[in-house]
Amino acid sequence: MASPIRILTAVPICDGHDSAINTINLEFIRHGIEVIYLGYHRSVSDIVRAAIQEDVSAIGISSYNGGHIEFFAEVIGLLRKKGADDIKVFGGGGGTITHDDAVIMKRKGVDEVFFAGTSLEEMVRFVHQRYGKSRTKRPRPKSFDQQLAHKLSEIEDAYAKGKRPTRLRDATAWQALNAQRPTSKKKIRNSRGARVIGFTGPGGAGKTTLIDELVLRFLNRSPKGRIAILSHDPSVVGEGALLGDRATMINSQDDRVFMRSMATRGQAGGLSPATQDCLALLADSNFDHVIIETVGTGQEAMPFRKNGIVDLTTLVMNPDYGSRLQLQKIVMLDLAEIVVVNKSDLQRARTAHAEIEQRLEQNRRNQHLVDTVAKRHRDPGVDQLFELISNR
Amino acid sequence: MSKLGQVVESVENYNKFVLDQVKRARTDEKFGRELLGRWNDVKAKIPTTRTPTGLPLPRLALPEIDEPGEIARYLFGEGLPGEFPYLNAAYREMYLEPVREIESFEKNAGKAETKIPQLEEPTRLFSGLMLAEDTNERFHYLTRHQRTHRLSTAFDGPTLYGIDSDADGVFGKIGEGGVAIDTVEDMVRLYDGFDLGSANFSASMTISGPAPIIMAMYIAAAKRRFGPKVVPKLRGTIQADIFKEVQAQNETIFPIEPSLRFLTDMVEFTTHEMPRWYPISISGYHIGEAGSTPVQQAAYTLSNGFAYAEMFAGRGIPIDQFGPRLSFFLDCGLDAEYIALARVSRRIWAIGMREVFGAGQRAQLLKLHTQTSGRSLIAAEFKNNLTRTAAELVLAYMNATNSCHSNSADEPFTTPSEEWIRLAAHGQAILLEESGIFKHTMNMLSGSPGMKAVERAVEAAILDEFREIERLGGVLAAVEERYQRSQIQNAAHRYEQQIYNGTRPIIGLNRYRDGDEEIPEVKLARTPRSKQQLQVDRLAKFKKKNAEKATGALDKLAAAVERGENCFPMLLEAAEVCSLGQITGRLQEVVGRFRPMV
Ligand code: B12
Repeated sequence: MASPIRILTAVPICDGHDSAINTINLEFIRHGIEVIYLGYHRSVSDIVRAAIQEDVSAIGISSYNGGHIEFFAEVIGLLRKKGADDIKVFGGGGGTITHDDAVIMKRKGVDEVFFAGTSLEEMVRFVHQRYGKSRTKRPRPKSFDQQLAHKLSEIEDAYAKGKRPTRLRDATAWQALNAQRPTSKKKIRNSRGARVIGFTGPGGAGKTTLIDELVLRFLNRSPKGRIAILSHDPSVVGEGALLGDRATMINSQDDRVFMRSMATRGQAGGLSPATQDCLALLADSNFDHVIIETVGTGQEAMPFRKNGIVDLTTLVMNPDYGSRLQLQKIVMLDLAEIVVVNKSDLQRARTAHAEIEQRLEQNRRNQHLVDTVAKRHRDPGVDQLFELISNR
Repeated sequence: MSKLGQVVESVENYNKFVLDQVKRARTDEKFGRELLGRWNDVKAKIPTTRTPTGLPLPRLALPEIDEPGEIARYLFGEGLPGEFPYLNAAYREMYLEPVREIESFEKNAGKAETKIPQLEEPTRLFSGLMLAEDTNERFHYLTRHQRTHRLSTAFDGPTLYGIDSDADGVFGKIGEGGVAIDTVEDMVRLYDGFDLGSANFSASMTISGPAPIIMAMYIAAAKRRFGPKVVPKLRGTIQADIFKEVQAQNETIFPIEPSLRFLTDMVEFTTHEMPRWYPISISGYHIGEAGSTPVQQAAYTLSNGFAYAEMFAGRGIPIDQFGPRLSFFLDCGLDAEYIALARVSRRIWAIGMREVFGAGQRAQLLKLHTQTSGRSLIAAEFKNNLTRTAAELVLAYMNATNSCHSNSADEPFTTPSEEWIRLAAHGQAILLEESGIFKHTMNMLSGSPGMKAVERAVEAAILDEFREIERLGGVLAAVEERYQRSQIQNAAHRYEQQIYNGTRPIIGLNRYRDGDEEIPEVKLARTPRSKQQLQVDRLAKFKKKNAEKATGALDKLAAAVERGENCFPMLLEAAEVCSLGQITGRLQEVVGRFRPMV
């Protein structure tokens, strides 16, 4: 089977009309499309950066507050400048985009404009027909990020077809390319270069927010450093997925952050079949840190350990995990080097801290327990976690 | 139990109380007689009016009941217009023609030159375009024939998001869809020529995320022009509704908690220093337009309102001081729920405010502005939108809204053009002045069995929503969990699916569609680049001139925020010398940026 179609959707800067795109996202994922949603009030550069890193087939823009002719054209212009004009652009904006506007927009390179009154079915059909073919001939990548993004797609595609991408194991060319890149890394911890940090934990624990806050601290601390994030959202084989983490990560919209969103595509345990190879590639790619985020707390999250790539595993917990009994079932508590109780401003947090502490003490593994409130600006708990991660 | 849980209980208890009164009226003879006496008294005092054809009608219509139990049910359960729990209306007469006019009309009847009373056109047209001076010109044009000047201001995108016109990537958005405001100097230009301290002037500003900063700029501009004494005289409204931004409109700029704190700082200031100002407009419109069901709209709006009341009271502001300065803004579409949505909302608000918050009479009133639904207006065969809006207007006035905005038929395409604005405004005049539906008799369309059925169903559904929010830990906790957002999104998705699978008839789109599509001539009011550049240049000049003072003012502001005190006074100082973006940026350094919810 071929990989699902990957599309990036967004609403332009100074525009918060997201109702149409939310509906369209839901409709796309119901029809097997993987949607990376970047959110509303998004700049041209954020959109293009995300599209290149995620290596999507196309960008769907929903624009209501005017200036659509210019905005769509700027996106296309920047894609061209970055050598990524294989990424197509389409969109809509209800009645605010007139038929005359659409003619100009198409002339400037927009694939299709959907007017008010178009059925949802028609849009889905368009995406399947227009972007469903696999992209065999890729343009020569113009940038490191673009090349990396293409390689990640190759890995995902290979796994979708049930093959293991052996070609990628031959890493000499890749390393040569890497060598040309300037790097800020002073101390390299392992042969691969990057420090790989795994974040796992149940949905709703606030992992994404926590990672984004750590990214902010990292960017401030290392003015030239680069960081990669591999994030996961659950999906079923042959179905779509909504990959929405990027939208909430305000600090990670930065040229020094390379982020890739993956759907698990049917694999249990919060990772995708392609994760291990993708992670290996990222670890080989001259980032100072590589962060991998996954959903899950049980046995399934073991790949972190098994593959030996992850240097440090962090389990992020929500204080509302339920009873002590529930806690006993969480295998990751024995495996993680760091356990974070996020949302520690919640009432149950003290109890949670005490219960988890007790459990960790039994392990006698010198694990760390940190309390954070990731949503709080400049949270001292997050500072502490950042120090732990950077110094270990 | 949070306050919202108590509100649920108070409404349930009130409904039980009403049933008890019904029973008592039937069993306790003295009480029954008293009620009957009062009822007859009320009826006897109702004046009679005459329609243009001479038909006599009562100025207030009451149900034809004479049994004490039913009288109790009506008086306690619904209330006469202007009486608790205000189901029928917040005030006694609302849209009725003043008695004086009827008399003069009757006296002149039969004479050749009958002078028809010339009422003003409905005012408060939402406007904002290009730069401050352009909007100012539009304001003067709109109010040229009016005694009272009620201006309603729309801001451009950068302003709504609290950023400056010189920010990265926003150049093309300057002055689009609203007016560009960066500094106090723009604010001076915006209302130039209007007497801000006059009792005949009021300004409404539709902005929420950066509302406290914009409010401070407005006050600073007023002081520049009229001196410090003008402050307590300022009249107007600022939207400032943070919860609905997070739930539906997506213009939040600080994290939720600091946003709420800055809002409370502002409310504390205006309640004390500007007693004529409405510092918040609790809005369901945007929730409805984002695609919620009508019940979700009412439930989220009311629960947001109660959460604000709890917050402001928690700050120590007396409920009877801020309560009367709260106002509401609801959507009115074509779904059956709208027959009674605002009526039920008014009743729940009054009961909750009285029973849970101990509010006095003036703070129990839900003062309502309604706007007809923009989303119900579609591009296909767009002239049908006139009919949709007309039907929605009838519904809005059946709910006894205190004021109403009717959308223009060209709504799907662009900021409305004058031709269609005029028709929209005239739609209201036709309904209220020309037709006899609302001008002769209060309660003309209240109290039908169908309306009562809707009321009961809607009230029960709203209380269910309250219970769910309560279960999630209250409004703030539910918001943080994306509860309202995800509910709205699912409802919006279902709504669009229903349109395209044909189960929700939309005339001209999925029924009776005519191949020939007509669209209005869309005149795009684009802001010329030269104007956008002018705004950027002005801003640069302002920043240069005030560079030194700005640093000092921002430091003081930041320190006040860090100390946790009411930062509004410092915001007032900063507004004199800093731009909107400078203030937003500095505040974000202290409290962080809003992390978008999707
Ligand atoms: C809903 C709405 C709102 C809601 C938005 C809620 C939300 N979270 O989305 C609220 C009330 C908050 C709102 C606010 C504002 N709004 Co508004 N809003 C609308 C409204 C009524 C409907 C838009 C809509 O969502 N329709 C439902 C969708 C599903 O259908 P559709 O639009 O027909 O789109 C179809 C296709 O085009 C296609 N499509 C759309 N996008 C995409 C993208 C892709 C990738 C694809 C494949 C297809 C596709 O899908 C749809 C199904 O067929 C329009 C007017 C109208 N009737 O269209 C004004 C309108 C868009 N708003 C307008 C304005 C000015 C504003 C404000 C700036 C007002 C102000 N100054 O405060 C604010 C700004 C808000 C912000 N944060 O940016 C103007 C824009 C004017 C212009 N461009 O010239 C309009 C046109 C109204 C008007 N005439 O003034 N608004």
